[in-house]
Amino acid sequence: METGYITALWFLIISCLTVPLMLGIGWIIRPQKKGSANKTMAYECGEPPVGDAWIKFNIRFYVVAIIFIIFDVEVATVFPAATVYKAAIESGNGGLAFAKIFLFVGLLLSGLAYCWVRGDLEWIKGVAQTGNKK
Amino acid sequence: MSETAKIVLAVAQLLTVASALLVTFHPNILYASVALLFTFLGVTVMFLFAGADFIAGVQVIVYIGGVTILVLFAIMLTSWLYQIKLRDTRKRMAIPFLLVGIGLVPFFYKAAEELANRVLSSPPANFEAFAGSPKTNLIGEALLNNYLLPFEGVTVLLLGALVGAVWIARPR
Amino acid sequence: MGNSALFAHSMQTWIGAGPIWVWAALSAFLIIYLVALPFGGFATYVERKVAADFQDRVGPNRVGPYGILQFLADAVKMITKEDFIPDGADKFLYNLAPLLVVMGACSAFAALPLSKYLMGADLNIGVLYILAVTTLVAPGILLGSWSSNNKWSLLGGLRGAAQIVSYEIPVALSILPVVLISGTLQVGTIVEQQGWAWSGATTGQYHFWNLFHNPFCFCAAFLLFIAGLAETNRIPFDLPEAESELVSGFNTEFSGMRFGLYALGEFAEVFVMCAVLTALYLGGWHIPFLNLDQMWIKFPEAIIILVQLAMFSIKTLLLVFVVMWLRWTLPRLRVDQLMGMCWKGLVPLSLINLFGTAVWMWVFNGRSLAQLLFGSGHG
Repeated sequence: METGYITALWFLIISCLTVPLMLGIGWIIRPQKKGSANKTMAYECGEPPVGDAWIKFNIRFYVVAIIFIIFDVEVATVFPAATVYKAAIESGNGGLAFAKIFLFVGLLLSGLAYCWVRGDLEWIKGVAQTGNKK
Repeated sequence: MSETAKIVLAVAQLLTVASALLVTFHPNILYASVALLFTFLGVTVMFLFAGADFIAGVQVIVYIGGVTILVLFAIMLTSWLYQIKLRDTRKRMAIPFLLVGIGLVPFFYKAAEELANRVLSSPPANFEAFAGSPKTNLIGEALLNNYLLPFEGVTVLLLGALVGAVWIARPR
Repeated sequence: MGNSALFAHSMQTWIGAGPIWVWAALSAFLIIYLVALPFGGFATYVERKVAADFQDRVGPNRVGPYGILQFLADAVKMITKEDFIPDGADKFLYNLAPLLVVMGACSAFAALPLSKYLMGADLNIGVLYILAVTTLVAPGILLGSWSSNNKWSLLGGLRGAAQIVSYEIPVALSILPVVLISGTLQVGTIVEQQGWAWSGATTGQYHFWNLFHNPFCFCAAFLLFIAGLAETNRIPFDLPEAESELVSGFNTEFSGMRFGLYALGEFAEVFVMCAVLTALYLGGWHIPFLNLDQMWIKFPEAIIILVQLAMFSIKTLLLVFVVMWLRWTLPRLRVDQLMGMCWKGLVPLSLINLFGTAVWMWVFNGRSLAQLLFGSGHG
């Protein structure tokens, strides 16, 4: 493997080891005491917590994540195409490369426009559908 | 390949297989998805060893940054899903799975042997140098010339996926 | 090619012995423990001091002259604090979360061009590498908030993950104009191209700062800064923490050194964001209107490295100051405004910038504004 990636792996390993190292140093030098029941209670503004926190939440987070993945794949595919754009310009094929890249980006942009028009990008769905847009 | 590189590769493979087994067999679905994150990390390192640095980067961005988050969101979205212990039919199926697995060993062995023979019969000229050379440009060239249709096809696929996904998630 | 572990290779040639992986490990250790973590610690002091100045207070002034050693005192305090895990928390994930955040933030330092040779690794996919490892922060925040069994934490973590993934798209789209211009993902090469040359012969290689390459790039740099603020959960995008509504957001249940690690990770990420902006748009380690390689005196390499390091630090730290300045200037956004701003504001705008940069390059044959104004002929 190339030396650059070995260095990058070392960065991952060393930063990963930093966390147990810091916590370990603290564990060694501080006095050992057991936390009282009040201390280990979840802090919810001083009220004793009701039930656990693992509640069901809104589907909009899921929508955001799925739109993100699709755009992420798009960007990842555009990256290699973008690296050859300069060379294409220098060899006189700029127009063709431009058309190829932006046909790709443009089609997906129409998808974003569709989501926008249909209100899928609205965070508060109910308000958007009753027409109370700002 | 140097001895140190072999060790790193072995660790990455071990991480991949071990966490993949956890994904399959862990009774808590949330832990299974966290194990999936480490499977992706291990696969990333293997991509690096294959000299596919760009694919390794995309693997992290799309799979760790995107798919893992999506899976976590989906699990947290479905209330109580992470409190169900997933272990219904596993024990009953253990023996059939084992038998099928053993039966498949010769097939995989043969396939691996064949693959190794083909690669080793014509080893790429100075692989080390190839592994270090920039390949993103090569991928870009390929996408814009020989593989233009798949490249543009991807965007149609993504468009369909986008419209379908928001349609499913739309309140009805 | 093949020798992209620049810092490790310089050390190996200088000492003249040892296998490269040892030097790679040492370079990683040095950059993390002498740049990333001290910056994270010191930034907490600077943040407090800057806040005090903006509010006409004195700020920390007890430990050392001007309170400059405050961060050491903070570190000692954090380390010796009692370390407990809240009731009902998921222990494994609770321990894993700060690990992922610190890993994501500190690993990105590998590809930051502190100077021409003082660079962990000039990877072929440098820009993509930074984008990739920083994505580890999102699962870290989400899992940490979920594991601590606190309703406020979970809300903050969900917001955080949704925000970080959303703003990654404008970040990537604002980096793409630079990739179009320089035709590579290697951070070292991208910085190298942003030099300045007075003599006509070499102006073709240098196109000055990407910020001034064309008007679209100028806008893209600002979009990158805004989206980067959201990626690092800084005000006005600090909804995951939102201390006035969510107690302390995703890190509510993290105390002592665990909280300290979150804070370190966050400041390291701020540094990475500012450093990426510096490297991609503000000319990295280049001195404006000056090219040290083309001077009439031949400077020794050590001086050049130090000057470049100083230039890079000045640019980056100025941006960090702007980030702190914004904290006392802008109010926090609402969640719906935040998401609307990303998908309806930044994403279309950054696509326009991408489009505009491509058109500019096509029309002017890949030449920058500086080359058009000062250059004599192409190449």
